[in-house]
Amino acid sequence: MYIILVYDFGQKRVGKMLKLCRRYLNWIQNSVFEGEMTEVQLKEMLHEAKRIMNEEQDSLILFKNRDQKWMDKQIVGIERQSTDDFL
Amino acid sequence: MKQTKYLMNPGRLSRQDHTLKFTPVDEAGNEGQPRFLPVEQVSDLYVFGSLDANSALYNFLGKEGIAVHFFDYYEHYTGSFMPREYLLAGKMQVEQTKHYTFPKKRIVLARAFVEGAATNILRVLKYYDNRKTGSLADAIATIEQLMASIPLVPDVPTLMGIEGNIRQIYYRCFDAILGETFCLDGRSKRPPQNELNAMISLGNMLCYSACLGMIYHTQLNPTISYLHEPGARRYSLALDMAEIFKPILIDRLIFRMVNKRQLQPSDFRMEVEGCLMKESARKRFVQEFDASLKETIKHRSLGRSVSYKHLIKLECYKLQRHLLGIDAYKPFKAWW
Repeated sequence: MYIILVYDFGQKRVGKMLKLCRRYLNWIQNSVFEGEMTEVQLKEMLHEAKRIMNEEQDSLILFKNRDQKWMDKQIVGIERQSTDDFL
Repeated sequence: MKQTKYLMNPGRLSRQDHTLKFTPVDEAGNEGQPRFLPVEQVSDLYVFGSLDANSALYNFLGKEGIAVHFFDYYEHYTGSFMPREYLLAGKMQVEQTKHYTFPKKRIVLARAFVEGAATNILRVLKYYDNRKTGSLADAIATIEQLMASIPLVPDVPTLMGIEGNIRQIYYRCFDAILGETFCLDGRSKRPPQNELNAMISLGNMLCYSACLGMIYHTQLNPTISYLHEPGARRYSLALDMAEIFKPILIDRLIFRMVNKRQLQPSDFRMEVEGCLMKESARKRFVQEFDASLKETIKHRSLGRSVSYKHLIKLECYKLQRHLLGIDAYKPFKAWW
């Protein structure tokens, strides 16, 4: 499944969340990640995210897509970071 | 499915925050903007550029079960960093060795590999024979004749001989398929002497590494092989496996890229030692290879779509079933 993840965390916790997301998804912009992941990996990540976040103050939003091919990505301005497999 | 990452540019790979960080470094030693690779989504790494890394990184990769395959300046496969085996199965190992030591058992598997390779070669040739209106008919007939003798060969060296003959005839067809832009002029290796040989070498190496990567994720031991003689420092089972997939994965890729003019003679550089692919062309080639690994086909007996990469893994599973005496091994034969 292809995921776009955005979060808005309090300053104290935002760094932890960034590190967690980097393990699973590609960073594309501040507080925005995208990438392919499995159901289990998502569960794993959400479980850890819930331990970091303060559910009264922080928010985490997921956009799920069955496949990347159903998603069109358009970039206006600069691309902060590409996500391809060739470095 | 986890992805293969290709490191084409020089840089430094390090471990940070329990994930991978790649920092590109240019010739002057200036560091570029780092990129974080999500470690949970990486299956293996192919390293083409020069890479700086330390043992902390390798410890981490080992723990995560990520293999690293290295290719040198001349696009030869130089070796792999293989993490500790994580799928250990003593029974499998014993059976695998038994099938090697008993000539009667070994020849069955060796034959299957050659048969699979030859069938796939024929499949490729027949496709181009159709398009080039019968110019390859002679070669096809000869290969079919040679194939008919496979079930009768008494031992592995003779089988290797037949395999060699098939491949020779096959490579002779390349010129007819590709037209004038490139000519093969005989297969040369270490180093390849012309453009086409350079493409085949790089392609075969990629195929070999892909097979090795898949074998790693099964219980099979990559050093015990059946068609090729197990060497001292080689993962020869990957060579056996690659035999089957080379025609459909690599040769088709080469034909496609040359005929579509995605590769031109200007993409190559002649050096004293041999012919080299220029960096940009190499990247394109590897990119196309990766795309074809991800391409899916509708599997006949499974009834669902599987990628070519997964097809290699299924091949390992079939081999395992044969070794454990569950099913006889039937090599993968392309039907399209």
